[in-house]
Amino acid sequence: MEFLRAASVDEALAAARDGAAFVAGGTNLVPDVLFGRKKIARAVDISRLDELRFIEEADGKIRIGALASVTDLLESELIRTAASPLYESALEFAGPLVRNRASVAGNLMDASPAADLAPPLLVQDAVVELASAEGERALPLSEFFLDYRKTAVRPEELMKAIVIEPLGQEGRCAYYKLQLRRAMAIAVVGVAVVLRMKGSVCAEAAISLGAVAAVPYRAQAAEACLCGKEIGVAEIEAAAEAAEDSARPIDDVRASAAYRKKMCGVLVRRLLKKALGMPQPVAV
Amino acid sequence: MSAYKINLCVNGKDETLDVQGDETLLRALRRIGYVEVKLSCEGGDCGACAVLLDGVAVNACLMFAAQADGSEITTVRGIGTEDDLHPVQEQLIEKGGVQCGFCTPGIVVSAKVLLDENPEPTREDIQRGLAGNLCRCTGYKKIFEAVSAAARQVNEGDGS
Repeated sequence: MEFLRAASVDEALAAARDGAAFVAGGTNLVPDVLFGRKKIARAVDISRLDELRFIEEADGKIRIGALASVTDLLESELIRTAASPLYESALEFAGPLVRNRASVAGNLMDASPAADLAPPLLVQDAVVELASAEGERALPLSEFFLDYRKTAVRPEELMKAIVIEPLGQEGRCAYYKLQLRRAMAIAVVGVAVVLRMKGSVCAEAAISLGAVAAVPYRAQAAEACLCGKEIGVAEIEAAAEAAEDSARPIDDVRASAAYRKKMCGVLVRRLLKKALGMPQPVAV
Repeated sequence: MSAYKINLCVNGKDETLDVQGDETLLRALRRIGYVEVKLSCEGGDCGACAVLLDGVAVNACLMFAAQADGSEITTVRGIGTEDDLHPVQEQLIEKGGVQCGFCTPGIVVSAKVLLDENPEPTREDIQRGLAGNLCRCTGYKKIFEAVSAAARQVNEGDGS
């Protein structure tokens, strides 16, 4: 395998051909190469491209540089206050040794159905900025994951940033990662919810699920049960049922498909109540 | 396979070595004698290969050696010496936090940065700080006790 360190974004883009793969933190790619799960002819090291490592407010949105690490998310006041589901997912992400290297872009590009950062980014309407030698384009994260470990990113494209809508005053949110232990665990189910309230009416609802289908996704049928309505127990039950119906999980070593499906309903119900400050028997 | 010449500064010593493009930092360090960096899962699960890369704790198995070109690496041997142990090392011995010892180099690295960043960690802080380091012998209780005691030692000013 050829190794090439890119000194600039342009140099990285020029090197992105003939079986090349970008490597940033390496926490997914390096063991994939070591154990033969991925064969790449050339690794283009982008880990020193500091211009892609930032978290900033721009035009009323939050822009996260592709190379921001998961630790960077935890150290950002902006993420903690205006993207708290993302902050909470970073807390539950692997362990410190991995968080220090793993990049936000890498977690998305790996396209695992259980990618921890995907559900919280999806509910904040994330858009990824992609660059190639031909130019740049913006791709909504909801159109990014095509199938199991397959993205809409072309081989020659490099992710530069992820842009999300901040949670304002009207934003109510919650996040939960169901996992078999509190660290270094692959999610059994990941759920994020954001409700934007206008008085007592829900103006916008976003619910996303991870690890329960080939890709992380927005549960639109569940969202439709809440949008434009005053949310009471009946609306929450309908949304929970719709979320459960939407799941297409598999059986694996961590949990059965039936359990995962049921937990989608349970967790959506609990998180909606938590986001709205409604009483519930079980704390999340 | 192409070879690449890289420079590292390991525990203060300059090293120049040839690495293959797909060689991990862990394998390269062990090949030139830094066998205190332990090779175990090679998948980022166990933390036995933890080192400081320019002061940041990372798994040496999860990066290509060539990515570390020009970096300063600190292994467990660069944290305290036999005559002047780091409080974490001293307390791991004192509290019986070492059994087979295979995880210990990584535990020391993670515990050192934890205490550098958070001199008064709670039990949960210690658990979270060591979350990436597996120990199959101790059940962690004595390791956590050792890190708590090391924190007290540092704060009382009789540590290094």
